[in-house]
Formats: sequence, structure tokens, C-alpha cells
Amino acid sequence: MTIKHNPKFMVLSIDGVPIGLLRQLMGEGVMPNMAALAEQVGTRQMRSVQPTVSCVAWSGYMTGKNPGKHGIYGFIDRREGSYDLKFPNSLTMATENIWEILSQANKRVFGMNVPGSFPPRQVNGILIGGFLSPSLEKAAWPADESNYLKSIDYRLDSDAQLARRDKQAMLGDLDITLARRMEAMFYYMDTEDWDFFHTHIMGSDRINHFLLQKFEQEDPEFAPAFRAYYRKIDEAVGKVLDRLPDDTPLLIFSDHGFCPIKQEVQLSRHLVEKGWTVPADPIRHPLSIEPAKSRAYCLIPGRGYVNLKGREPGGIVPPEEYQQIREQLSRDLLEMREPNTNEKVIRKVLMREEIYWPSGCRGIQKMEPLEVARHEGAFGKAADVIAMPYDGYDLKLGLAGKTLFQKTELEGMHTYHDAFMIARGVELPKDDLEISMLARPILEKLDVEPPTDMDGIGEAITPDV
Amino acid sequence: MDRLDELESQSVYIIREAYYHYKKLAMLWSVGKDSTTMLWLCRKAFFGKIPFPLLHIDTSYKFPEMYKFRDEYSKKWGLKLLITRNEEALAKGMTPDKKLECCTALKTEGLKQAIAKYGFEALLLGIRRDEHGIRAKERYFSPRDEQFKWNYQDQPPELWDQYKNQAEEKTHIRVHPLLHWTEKDIWYYIKRENIPITDLYLAKDGKRYRSIGCVPCCSPVESNASTVDEIIEELESTTTSERAGRAQDKEDTYTMQKLRALGYM
Repeated sequence: MTIKHNPKFMVLSIDGVPIGLLRQLMGEGVMPNMAALAEQVGTRQMRSVQPTVSCVAWSGYMTGKNPGKHGIYGFIDRREGSYDLKFPNSLTMATENIWEILSQANKRVFGMNVPGSFPPRQVNGILIGGFLSPSLEKAAWPADESNYLKSIDYRLDSDAQLARRDKQAMLGDLDITLARRMEAMFYYMDTEDWDFFHTHIMGSDRINHFLLQKFEQEDPEFAPAFRAYYRKIDEAVGKVLDRLPDDTPLLIFSDHGFCPIKQEVQLSRHLVEKGWTVPADPIRHPLSIEPAKSRAYCLIPGRGYVNLKGREPGGIVPPEEYQQIREQLSRDLLEMREPNTNEKVIRKVLMREEIYWPSGCRGIQKMEPLEVARHEGAFGKAADVIAMPYDGYDLKLGLAGKTLFQKTELEGMHTYHDAFMIARGVELPKDDLEISMLARPILEKLDVEPPTDMDGIGEAITPDV
Repeated sequence: MDRLDELESQSVYIIREAYYHYKKLAMLWSVGKDSTTMLWLCRKAFFGKIPFPLLHIDTSYKFPEMYKFRDEYSKKWGLKLLITRNEEALAKGMTPDKKLECCTALKTEGLKQAIAKYGFEALLLGIRRDEHGIRAKERYFSPRDEQFKWNYQDQPPELWDQYKNQAEEKTHIRVHPLLHWTEKDIWYYIKRENIPITDLYLAKDGKRYRSIGCVPCCSPVESNASTVDEIIEELESTTTSERAGRAQDKEDTYTMQKLRALGYM
């Protein structure tokens, strides 16, 4: 095959691969292509975001901004003016993304499967949404691209329901999803010389969620299957490396790390037991609370909110008690222990203003509690307190759950400190690296001026928590 | 002419246009406030006697108050009311446990069956642009293909209020006389005309329904608005979306299923 086209900047991201796992698999020879590249250009550790979930991490990547500016804090939010759930997506993201910024500079851009990019914004090129897109037509910009994707039986995502029922079937499904995605990736690479080309692999996150412990325990059936899946990812990396000229700027990285789950923790249950939250009757969804009796409530993962008068529609906590309630809530969360081992569950509780800053700011701001409480805009949607668990305690949201701690089919959970980065031909910040620092050097490499409000240098770096 | 008169005349004009162009026309009546307002406008357009049938797609899961209201006013206003149910799906045990499948089987399939049975060319629907993002792209005269698909990239232009009411064969036309109304307009008009509505919309014990459909998929909103005047007052100050209480917001349901499977719920 003769290669007609190649992108001028390539990103291949692999969701949720911790640097430790990557090094192990490279060392074992499971990922020889990655190992060869790492040999040349090195591997680095990278920090993710708080809370550590894909949509927040990728929103940080694609905007180059702190969540206080882009307003994406998780997969679910409280709908304004109610205690209903709302699902944030690219339309609720308060700021432009890297594909838009590049489009404005007349660059041709491509993005596929990046979490948080649905619904696709209208860019100078092609954007195909990720796993929360309800259909191919709705996932694709321009929508006509769905015709090609349908023709190859492209899959937006593997089936997590299946993963819960039948692990072997899950593996088959993951393989097909990856194969179709890679087919689409090479098809689109061949169509033109894209200025910026980003494809995202999600299956690594899925396999880590469902099989990480079996892999670590060398399960005779699933550990080899786990390696086989990573081998397939490596083969795709190999093909990309083979066709790209050696001087093409290239980033291969993950958005967060992973570790085995000891226990899933139903944080909302804890708030109920401690008297912070009173559930409604019947409980219809994870935010079905009795506002008149609840001083606080939470959203997944570890996002605690004060039921504040004047902000929440049925708020009962007067603003002057905001700080006191946050402090009490933090103490309560920090005291939580797993009953069998007596281990502490929460490592740290952060106030929203300790890690987020509002639009127009270049880092952490000094703010009075009242100002923090009443802040509007993207910053004002942040949790009032953010609980960071010890590795192994996966913070969930189960208001209807009867038990605080439980173990389910899920085997792995996200971690903050240990995403990986392999960068070729791109100058990244030297010392500390966090995912929201990537947009700036990408733009600079493509000779596009980063927006003035973009973070990622100097003071505008999230403090290392 | 005040705003409500203008809205009314435009809707009456569209309704009469539809009746003039399509021999086989029907109006979908869900018994909610919007389609009941449309029914009121149809009665006005034809001086009290509507010359085409009303079609009610019965999922069997609607509120009892809605059935009562339907039967009472159907009789009172001398309506030609056709009621269809997807009996096959119901016999197979379709229940709202599976929201997406249920809506498709009982509403979409139910409507398909009715169109096949009666051969309707065009249907009047009481949707409004401000209800939902996707509806903002709708036309007053909107063709659907055989599969019921709405090809939003191939819709007739409706510039300067010129309507295209011809479409290819094998399609049926959906006509939306209320497209330009807002939720508030509807309530101001209900007030002015004293249009009857089911009392599900009025607050009882601090809760009321802003949007009604099937019992399992509707949640009441917190409200003390127990009269039409109070509802108008409430709407003047709220920022919550009208359909916030409708669990059938299908994309949300999809998202929820997906997140649940991944352990995010």
C-alpha cells in the first residue's frame, strides 16, 4: 500500500493506562512497539484531574483549562433549579476546545472517540463523539460521516452490560470495537494531510475496570487475555509508527491511572448514615433527596455539595454557615473507616477553591467563603468539597444502596498520579506534568496562538494534591 | 393585534391550510395542555365542528385523570375520536421498565399501525420549538419517510413564513401549528380562553406536573402553583426546563443506562 497522506500532528490516546502497567507490559514484551518508542523518547508520569474521571480529564485536555473554567466535573450533575440529574456534555462545556481553536486558525482537524467531545462541535474537519453518543448520526460531525462508519460496522463503544454478564463475550466485543476503530482511524488518515489528528482508544479503561485484579493475580484464563488485548493496542501503535515520518510530532498518553478496587464505597449512603442527606421516598435516582431535611448531598465521585439556601432550589443551609458545614462535612468524610480492616477511606478533602479557579484567573484565588459559595458560572458548578480516596476505595453514588461498602464485578478504579506520557517531537513542560498542560504545546507546535485564558503555565497549574 | 391573537391566527391559518391540502388528515391528541390547546384552535378554525378525526395513541399507562378528561371532552365537543393501542406489544408484556423500548413500541409503533390502518396523509401535532433542543430544528410542515425517519438535513425551507406543503409520495406530513408558541404562551392562552385542562397540572401538596404522559415516566415538580395564574407567575421566574420531570428524555435514559453499566451510578 502506498501512503498518500499523513497528519502533521498525531495524538493516539489510550484511556486509563497507569505508567506502572505500561512499564510492566513493555518489559514483558507485550508492547514491543511502545517499548521501542519509549526507548527513543522516554516515558513520563503525568497527573490527571480531580475528580479523576475520564470526562473531566479529557475536558482538561481539550480545553487546556482548569475545570473551574470549562465547567465539567463529572458524568452527572444536578440540574439547575431542581434535584434532578443532568448529564453534562460538550454543549455544557463553557469554553472552546482544541479542535475549534485550531479550526479558527484554518487548520484541518480530526478527532475520534475522545470522551467529552459529544455532541461534536462544528469544526473544520471531522469529529466523532465517544462512548456517551447515543447514535452514529448524532456522534458524527458532519453527520454524513456516519454513513462510512455504519458501512464498516463501527462501534461507538464496547458493551459494559455484557462485561458484567460474561467476561469472555466482553473480550470478543472489545476486540471488535478496537479493530473497527483502528480501521476507521487508518481510513481517515488516508483521506488527507490533517493538521491535527487525534484517535482515542477506550477499551483499555474497560478491560482495566473489569479484569485488572485477574491480571494482577495471574488468573489462568483472563491474565493472558488481558495481555492479548494490550498486544493488539501495541500492534496498532506499531502500524502508526511505521507509516508516520520520524519527525511527525506524536503524543501517546493516558488520562489517568488505575489500581485494583478493595471496596466500592457508597458515599451518599455515608451521608445518609451521618444525617447529612435524607433520601426521598421513593428514591427514583441518585439525587432523590428530601431537600428540606438535607444539609448536604453528593455526586459521583466524591463530590460533596452543601444544600445552600439561595443556590439550591430547596436549600436550607444559610450562606453564613457554609464554611462551617464544609468543615464538618470534611471531618466526617475523613473519619470514615472500612470496618473489617479499620483502614481510613478518604485521604484528603479539598475545598473547591483549593484546586479550581474561575474564568479569567491564572491560578488559585484568595476568596472569602461567602464568595466561594455564591460564585456563578463554571466555577460555581464545582463541588463544595472534593473527597480524594486512598487507592482501592472507589467512591460511588448509591442512595438506594443498603450497604456502605461492597465489592462488585468491577475490579479496577481510577488513580490520579500515574497517567503516562510518551511524547515525540513536542516540547512539554519539563518537570511537573498534568493533562490540562497539553493543549498549549500542541497549539504552539502548530503555530497557533493559545487563547489568553488557557492554563498550563506558571501559576495556572493545579497544585499537586 | 396582541401577541396571543397573532399566535392564534397563525395557528388557525396553518390548520386550515392543512385541511385544505390533505384529504386524509387527523390530529394527534395526547390530552396534554399543548394538544388540548391545539384542539381548541381546531375548534375555532372550523367554528366548533372539527371536520377530521382525532387520534389518541393509548399506551395504557397514562394517568387515569387523562382518560377521564379525554372521554368527557370528546363527548362534550362531539369529536370523532380514534383510539389505537399496540395490543400486540402489550400482550407480549411491554412495560415501562424498559423506557426506550417501551416508548418505541407503544408510541412510535402504535402510531405507525394507526397510519397504516387509516391511511392518513398528514397529522397535526402540538409540538413547540422551545420544548427540546432537537425540536428547534422542526418545520411547520415536516415530511417523514416510510421508516418514520425525520431527515433533518433535508427539510423544506420555511423562509418568510412560506410553507411547503407538498412532499414526495410514501411520506406522511407532520404539521405543527403550535411550533412558534412557548410554554408561557400556552398558559396565557389557556387563561384567556378558559381552556379546560386536567388538574394534574395544578399543584397538590407542593407538587404538580409540568408535562404529562405515562405515569411511570413523569415526575412532578416542586410547586405551589394551584391555579393557572399561579402557574404563569411561576413560569415567569423559573429557569428549569419544562420536560425536566420527563424521564423519557431518551438520550438521558441512554446515558443513564450506559453510566450504570460502567458503575458510575
